[in-house]
Amino acid sequence: MIGLVSYLVFFFTITTILAIAVLGLNLQWGHTGIFNGGVVAFFGTGAYAVILLGGPERAGEFGGFDLIWPLAMLGGMIAAGLLALIVGLATTRLRHDYLAIATFGVAIAVETVARNAEYWTGGAKGLRGFQRPLEAAIGDPFLYNLGFLSVVILCLVLVFIALERLVRSPFGRLLRAVREDETAARALGKSPSRVRLQSFVIGAVIMGLSGGLYATFYAYIGPQDLAPILTFQIWAMLIVGGAGNNRGAVLGTLVVWGGWVGSGWALTAFAPQSMQLYAGTLQYILIGLIIVGTLMLRPRGLLPEILTVSARAAQGATPSESRPAMRTGQTTKGEKVT
Amino acid sequence: MKNGLKSAFYGIALAACLPAAPALAQDCTVKIGAVLPTSVDWGRPIAETAQFAVDLFNEAGGVKGCQIDMVLRDTQVDPKVGVDAAKALVDLEKVPVLLGAVSSGVSMPILTSVTVPSKVMQMSCCSSSTAFTGVAADGKTDGLWFRTFATTRNQSAVAAKLVQERGYESVAIFYKNDDWGQDIGRLVQADLEALGINVTASVAITDGQASYRAEVTEALKTQPQAVYMALYPAEGTLVAREWISLGGSQKMVVANSLKSDEFRDNVGLQYLGDVVGHDSAQPRTESAAGFVDLYKAKFKSEPNGPGLPNSFDATMIALLAMEAADEAAGPAIAKAIPRVTDPEGEKIFPNAEGLKKAKEVLGAGGSVSYQGGTGPVTFDANGDVSAPAVAWGFSEEGTKEVTYYTLDEVNAFIETLN
Repeated sequence: MIGLVSYLVFFFTITTILAIAVLGLNLQWGHTGIFNGGVVAFFGTGAYAVILLGGPERAGEFGGFDLIWPLAMLGGMIAAGLLALIVGLATTRLRHDYLAIATFGVAIAVETVARNAEYWTGGAKGLRGFQRPLEAAIGDPFLYNLGFLSVVILCLVLVFIALERLVRSPFGRLLRAVREDETAARALGKSPSRVRLQSFVIGAVIMGLSGGLYATFYAYIGPQDLAPILTFQIWAMLIVGGAGNNRGAVLGTLVVWGGWVGSGWALTAFAPQSMQLYAGTLQYILIGLIIVGTLMLRPRGLLPEILTVSARAAQGATPSESRPAMRTGQTTKGEKVT
Repeated sequence: MKNGLKSAFYGIALAACLPAAPALAQDCTVKIGAVLPTSVDWGRPIAETAQFAVDLFNEAGGVKGCQIDMVLRDTQVDPKVGVDAAKALVDLEKVPVLLGAVSSGVSMPILTSVTVPSKVMQMSCCSSSTAFTGVAADGKTDGLWFRTFATTRNQSAVAAKLVQERGYESVAIFYKNDDWGQDIGRLVQADLEALGINVTASVAITDGQASYRAEVTEALKTQPQAVYMALYPAEGTLVAREWISLGGSQKMVVANSLKSDEFRDNVGLQYLGDVVGHDSAQPRTESAAGFVDLYKAKFKSEPNGPGLPNSFDATMIALLAMEAADEAAGPAIAKAIPRVTDPEGEKIFPNAEGLKKAKEVLGAGGSVSYQGGTGPVTFDANGDVSAPAVAWGFSEEGTKEVTYYTLDEVNAFIETLN
């Protein structure tokens, strides 16, 4: 029993950390329509920066600043934000698939740097983390994991509340205006490129936070953690959960990651002995089925975006008034898919 | 009266249990966990070999009379997935021993965030990164970490020795651009330079590319007499083809990762006459009883693939240590490892009689010296192995042995380099 609880604590810690990154992507894609194909670049930058800043000295290599953990985390978020600022400024004129390709390239570049720049990043052997904060003081690994879970849940809740407030604020409305029709937004005197850059950087900072928590929890980060599969996983979580809905983003993370690792467990538990060697391959098929199946049943995600002009308008609006907004929302969604 | 009835009842119950007890012991199972990349082409044979070792041990009576159940999970070579699988095995299946992973990038987070905190012994067949030696030397593994893959240090020294023996004066190096390749590339370069051999170029080969012409040309420009390759078969084939077709030297020294039929067939044996490879070696004496024969009998093919004898030995040593340990808990099993790999102990081969004998000796409190697929394995304080080495070349049938270096020779040679 305690084993199951211990595993679930571990599972939910990873789920929560991933959910934070999914929320970051939801701000970029779900609310602003920025097609970030390089989530892992910002996640990874945060992770590496946290270990470099908070980690112990490494012989003959960069780092070892031994900062206290909250400061290291802050540094990780700033590093991810700075990368996003540079990438955002460089790609300010790119849209949709072009932006996706550019950001995907950035992610590959970050992974390549991590793999090769041994002095800065430890190269392919990766960076061993620091003693996890308070681990020695707490001692018992189960209690420690439980404590760590509460910290990451706290982070998730803070990010969630902040984003909910943000997207409901006039700024959030501006994000959606840019997403739906940039020309119209510009006609109203707004600067879409500025808004897109702001959203891109905030989203990246959130991804950096997620990466920092990830590296802290594993006490290790290596180039293998920065494989493009992570970008795919984060995207799958958002699309399955429902782009544009923060609750959906969190639910999608739970469903996709649960399916991802749960399928492995289920195959080990139920597949016949002779099939065990092929379970790994079957697992990929199961994962694909879960994602495709959800999307066939719920094409707009488990919890689709609730389209409103603004919180106040929704309260005062009669049904006939709110319907046109819905319709525009749907058609633009359709365009994006193609 | 009541008491009398009760004791009579207990008596009957006890009598009923007694004959059943030995049968129960036969029916019990012990679990060990394995996290290996079974969804990857070169990973599945490693898992198969581990399962094969478990089957052999079960045929010999299992661990302390209990059948062994190896619970296998795939890592997808994704650290997140591998760590989750390891955690599930440790928490849900309660395994005291975890075999795996293959990639150092997956083994490391498992070690730091799962096995060490949960006091589970971790035994990897194939993670070769020198980073583990550092973690162990810092005392962060609590003695729970072992690996049967001779460290890159050992391999690189033998590579340098092969170059020196063949009198090559200048060498270009191609290394796989991952943790293992970077490690061995750097170490071979340092060892060659220590021997006064000129390293003209050291070129990283990132896998999954369609062509390596740019990398090959870069090395070719430096006109080395010979080339050293620490690559896997897929990219090794491409590099070797382009190297030879552009007029590069056919004098090649290669790592054990290229000891594969795939590489030999795809490059062509006629070009590989001067190739010499290094590998950790089979035990010299009575090796007929060893791993290769067992493997051939089971799989009807030579164990030509990276990490197969290592995987076999990792599993066998873990199981023997479970047999020797006084309880089925990670630290106790890790403590029993020296009793299984004691150079002074009774020599044991991993076949049916050998395992029976091992159980007798261990049961009587003695110690054994396990003679496995990679030789008479001994671990140092950091859980690393040194091993005798063998130089091999390609032949019509597969690979043939060229020279054998005993453990003492290897260690003495490493001493001269340091």
